[in-house]
Amino acid sequence: MSPPQSAARLAMPVVPSDADVRDPELMPAQKAVLRNVDFFYDSFRALKNISLPLHDKRVTAFIGPSGCGKSTLLRILNRIYELYPGQRATGEVLVDGENILAPGLDLNLLRAKIGMVFQKPTPFPMSIYDNIAFGIRLYERLTRPELDDRIEAALRRAALWDEVKDKLRQSGLGLSGGQQQRLCIARAVAVEPEILLLDEPASALDPLSTQRIEELIAELKDDYCIAIVTHNMQQAARSSDYTAFMYLGELIEFDETERIFTHPKQKQTEDYITGRFG
Amino acid sequence: MAADIALQRVAGARGRGGAVGDFLFHHLTFLFALLVLLILGGVIVALVEGALPALRTFGIGFLFSDVWNPVTEKFGALAPIYGTLVTSAIAMLVGIPVAFGVAVFITEICPIWLKRPLATMIELLAAIPSIIYGIWGLFVFAPFVQQYIQPNLIDSLGQIPGFGALFAGPPLGIGVLTAGFILAIMVLPFISSIMRDVFETVPAILKESAYGLGATRSEVVRQIVLPYTRIGVVGGIMLGLGRALGETMAVTFVLGHAHRISISILQPGTTISASLANEFTEAVGDLYLSSLIALGFILFVITFIVLAIAKLMLLRLQRRAGG
Amino acid sequence: MSIYTRRRITNGVVMSLSVAATAFGLLWLVLVLWTLLENGIAAITPALFSQMTPPPGSAGGLLNAIFGSVVMTFIATLVGTPTGILAGTFLAEYSRGSRFGEVVRFINDILLSAPSIIVGLFVYEVMVVRMGHFSAWAGSMALAIIVIPVVVRTTEDMLNLVPNALREAAAALGSPKWKVIIMVSYRAAIQGMVTGVMLAVARIAGETAPLLFTALNNQFWSTNLNAPMANLPVVIFQFAMSPYADWQVLAWGGALLITLTVLCLNIGARALASWSTFKQ
Repeated sequence: MSPPQSAARLAMPVVPSDADVRDPELMPAQKAVLRNVDFFYDSFRALKNISLPLHDKRVTAFIGPSGCGKSTLLRILNRIYELYPGQRATGEVLVDGENILAPGLDLNLLRAKIGMVFQKPTPFPMSIYDNIAFGIRLYERLTRPELDDRIEAALRRAALWDEVKDKLRQSGLGLSGGQQQRLCIARAVAVEPEILLLDEPASALDPLSTQRIEELIAELKDDYCIAIVTHNMQQAARSSDYTAFMYLGELIEFDETERIFTHPKQKQTEDYITGRFG
Repeated sequence: MAADIALQRVAGARGRGGAVGDFLFHHLTFLFALLVLLILGGVIVALVEGALPALRTFGIGFLFSDVWNPVTEKFGALAPIYGTLVTSAIAMLVGIPVAFGVAVFITEICPIWLKRPLATMIELLAAIPSIIYGIWGLFVFAPFVQQYIQPNLIDSLGQIPGFGALFAGPPLGIGVLTAGFILAIMVLPFISSIMRDVFETVPAILKESAYGLGATRSEVVRQIVLPYTRIGVVGGIMLGLGRALGETMAVTFVLGHAHRISISILQPGTTISASLANEFTEAVGDLYLSSLIALGFILFVITFIVLAIAKLMLLRLQRRAGG
Repeated sequence: MSIYTRRRITNGVVMSLSVAATAFGLLWLVLVLWTLLENGIAAITPALFSQMTPPPGSAGGLLNAIFGSVVMTFIATLVGTPTGILAGTFLAEYSRGSRFGEVVRFINDILLSAPSIIVGLFVYEVMVVRMGHFSAWAGSMALAIIVIPVVVRTTEDMLNLVPNALREAAAALGSPKWKVIIMVSYRAAIQGMVTGVMLAVARIAGETAPLLFTALNNQFWSTNLNAPMANLPVVIFQFAMSPYADWQVLAWGGALLITLTVLCLNIGARALASWSTFKQ
């Protein structure tokens, strides 16, 4: 299934096919590279030999039918799966050249560098202000005004500031679903991560809130390397630069989003995006 | 109420043949459910009736007098009430942090294969009858306390002016502190298993988002798990407190049975339940007996309130988790 | 990264304390069981099971007390189990969402944790005073009152685990509701309900406080349920608090017997529950 590789291209191992032919100067930097990653739930092999890059300042979307392993893949990148015994990943995930699957790596520092937003909004049971401050306080000792500034910046970043600036002391649980999700994005952004992982961030939201989240993603990609899992193909087409199609734990096709949606190379990909799938 | 039940009966009945059977079975179960309420009502009526002579004789002063003299037939509840509260307070002071630690270990740290056996072992602590703790406390723990713990307490904390009065007097082994400590061991499993249950209600995704920001386990517990489960944790603590207040045999063995209020927690004392266990069958005279029943009534009221609060708090958490 | 270092140290300390607390909790279990075995084994002799409780200073056994405990536990279970099961059935099958059901459930949960010595006082007032003397009947009733809330609670919980689809399937065949409950719900929940009864028996097997002023004690062999009857917990209480070495040895023997019984019942109940048909 993996495209053929030559030894000379190991540094940029798996951007397949035509993408390589074009001028490498124009290619965005690779923030993270997965190499031959397998994932196991106990003895069940949920991901099979996944290799692909995540480009900096670009959005990479993961699509595929449920159970194909796209969320699992995302959960490898910040090793959140390690909270659960019996789950393990093998292979290599290089972030800025360092293998984050290596044993002995400090998980807290890793997770501070790689933010994650989950399928359902997860405001912590505390005020809006403290929700954002939570992550900042973990790593920095700031004065009150500094902290205020950071929180305002994060909320502005998540396009939430105008809606909540008068009720920062109220519980985060009092916000609407869409606002809660933007709060979670603000919380993730506030710790200034380098990679943002979004696990179906809009699946629990109404269309209007979904649109706002998508606009937000478009703005955020100027500064971050973003990976988003979505079951919504329109969303992938609208908001991503690269798309990976996965099926039954395998990476079927990875390419620029435009190509995937206009000229998919694999029959399975074409079937899926045209809705002719099982 | 009756209309409700009648409606349910009609709805529940299927066909003419089943209707009679349904009517009978429904009302049979209803009567037995009613019996649960009647038991509680009966307890209240019986205790009030039994306590009346004492309450009539001593009035409200019964609550505030520490005299307990069977010869002159003067009785007051203050000493046992004080002892009940102090032993329970010591039990909570020791038991809550330990129970919390156990619950955190089992829900957050412990490898999955160890969870079940460990939880079972802690719960077996609750299964051991209280008389076993009593006999163990009397023959094993109290001598140990007398020899190793109390002399040190007297020599160190006992020397602090003012505060030291709490740790004054000869090392007897038995006494309020020892009783409180044994109570702590007994309530530990109750509190920790409820804490464990409520900790499990925290959605995994919420904890994941905190870990996703780089929080450590202790930060997740303190800032996410605890605020989320606050009501349930307090409910569990209250339930443990209810147990501690009414516990009889374990404290009776090691308390020394002295009807007086000592400032020092190393000295003997009594609790409501210990007074009942020690004196009830030997009490002569109606007023003496009635005073003991009045003590029982006070204990019942205190524990009822504590347990009701505990139950209401746990119900609130349950509703929130459900919806 | 000094903040981070401090955080890691805090985390290490908190986690170590948590491990220490668990070890501390288990330590008591081990200590209590150890002393019980150490002191109790010596007392487990044939005489313990064949002779009556002795007067101070002479040898004897616990036969009358063991017999009394078995009899009163048996009667209490016999009375408490059907009562608890029927009340629990009402809560699970007939009272969903009703105010009355909520109140019964609430009161039942309070009775579940209420001090057992209060139950003893209640039965003393209601039975002992009226009958004019202590009796095994009174002791059995006191224990039955402790059994009831335990069985109510487990019965309701277990019936609630039975899938509604099963009830609907049976009702769709035209079965009246009472038959659905007895033939389908009970059958599906039987393991859990048995578990509840076992836990209730374990609970009363060691109960002392409610027997103190109901069954009292009896130094001699007695099968008369209308008279005071010896029982293990009260004998242990009396013998352990006494200054006589012979009595204290017997108390340890009785304590070991009770604990082994209670632990076996508990572990058995848990094992049974883990095979239960419907899991949460």
